[in-house]
Amino acid sequence: MKKFFLVLIVLLVLFLSACSGNTSSQPEAGELTHIRLPMGYIPNVQYAPFYTAVEKGFFTEEGIELEFDYSYETDGVALVGANELQFSVVSGEQVPIARAEGLPIVYVMAWYEKYPVAVISMTDQNIHIPEDLAGKRVGLPGLFGANYVGLRALLGAGNLQESDLTLDSIGFNQVEILASGTDEAVVGYIANEPVQLKAQGYDIDVILVADYLDLVSNGIITNEITLSENPALVQRMVSAILKGIQYAVENPEEAFEICKIYVEGLEDADQEVQMEVLRESIKLYQTDPYGYSHPDAWANMQDVLIRMELMKKEINLEDAYTNDFSR
Amino acid sequence: MNDLLDIVKKIGFFLFSIILGWLLWLGFTTFSDIPSFIFPGPKDVWDKFLSVLNNGSLFFHTMITLQEVLLGLILGLGTAIVTGYFLAKSRLVERVLAPYIVASQSIPVVAIAPLLVIWLGPGILSKILTSALIVFFPVLVNTIVGLRSVPEELYDLMKSLQASPWQRIFKLEIPAAMPVFLGGLRIGATLAVIGAVVGEFVAADKGLGFLVNVGRGLYDTSLVFVAVFTLVILAIGLYGSVVFLESRVLSWQKKNGDHSTSVRR
Repeated sequence: MKKFFLVLIVLLVLFLSACSGNTSSQPEAGELTHIRLPMGYIPNVQYAPFYTAVEKGFFTEEGIELEFDYSYETDGVALVGANELQFSVVSGEQVPIARAEGLPIVYVMAWYEKYPVAVISMTDQNIHIPEDLAGKRVGLPGLFGANYVGLRALLGAGNLQESDLTLDSIGFNQVEILASGTDEAVVGYIANEPVQLKAQGYDIDVILVADYLDLVSNGIITNEITLSENPALVQRMVSAILKGIQYAVENPEEAFEICKIYVEGLEDADQEVQMEVLRESIKLYQTDPYGYSHPDAWANMQDVLIRMELMKKEINLEDAYTNDFSR
Repeated sequence: MNDLLDIVKKIGFFLFSIILGWLLWLGFTTFSDIPSFIFPGPKDVWDKFLSVLNNGSLFFHTMITLQEVLLGLILGLGTAIVTGYFLAKSRLVERVLAPYIVASQSIPVVAIAPLLVIWLGPGILSKILTSALIVFFPVLVNTIVGLRSVPEELYDLMKSLQASPWQRIFKLEIPAAMPVFLGGLRIGATLAVIGAVVGEFVAADKGLGFLVNVGRGLYDTSLVFVAVFTLVILAIGLYGSVVFLESRVLSWQKKNGDHSTSVRR
């Protein structure tokens, strides 16, 4: 019995220490602020601006010591919402969804201008516009996340319902599933799956969601507490990343070389393919002006999410994002 | 009378344990400032449970997972029993197959689940196979151990009675191996749930694993809790079913004074 209570006490102490809240504080002069940044995906050349910003010292210049965290996107959002972390890299649709559930997160910088999701098919399927998807079997990682939102936006643009086609949840196996002919089209990221398929010699057609609807895309979030108590930290973080984006855009080859420090196996991977992934990613970046997210893209995103019933109620979008820190 | 008292005591301790857990959970979520999307309170979870129960989605997804689990269990059991029998009977077969079987167990199912989706498609088959794969090994090992634990003298006895091979299997080997085999089945039944959910995590648009993914995607942690609790109940239900089966199938053993190797008459 004594042991039982001892275990209970230990568990309670662990719980209480876990919820003790944000431990970061303002740095003293010369001291770097340690930031753990959830990236939402595995190490990849697509993160070239972040790797470049670290290696070029842009974060250090802003008094930040950055640690990459490759956990799930939704975990990053939840931790920022709970003020356990200050920042995270997220896809745009996560912000309205999370805010509708009460997570006080705020989008402070656009990284991508264009929503990167696309429908990919073999050329013999003749899928060129969203309407062509009617009656087709389409594979996507799952009925959640950016791929699903992008597909639904595209269906809306083509006046199609989900019931007009067959959806298969295939995990992140789009290349293999399309190549094996299991599905007639797949949903993926424009900078990834199409590049991989072309490199393997397949003739493909791509429908990019961003060509039909402007949706808010990948960017950086913080939370309302950090925004109100430490706006200078937000500004420093955004500035460092923007410098990284600019540098990667202007020096893609050097950025690619820098990626090799962070992406295990990149040295031995097909250099042309990986460089192409980076080039395609750079085409999506928000560069004019850097970091700006358009109000129309937010309104479109909210409309799509409500139509999909991923949000039960409208939120005040002005609370969900700010362009104050971009330039 | 003593039996009745024992049952009442057991139920009492069970209820006490549940109420204590519920109180700790309630106290923790009430007095800490942890938000509900990180750790929801019992009321949030109960409300979500009622909501998904009333709209039928919990029942629908539970039935899908149960179907995958049962088919996976049947496939895993069948393969393990047949393979186990040959491995127990033939040292040669064991020597040839053992490296593959042991190696297959060192591969985490979660690592090969995406491959199964590619090979078998995104339908139910890949989930049944992940479930079967995880069930296979414990049942296989227990089948082999069970069959090898049959004393030689009982084989000699069967031989002296001029028993046919089928009689030897049904009258001696199956009853003798049953206690150990059912031990493996207990483990396999709970693992089958894990296997099916692993498959659903990788690629699914229905099932309790899918419901967990949806809950995570929508920051609806209460929904994640409801799905996880349902999985726990499913696993406990399966475990309980095996225990019940054990009590029925092995009732002869108790009557014979708990001699696991007694010949069934």
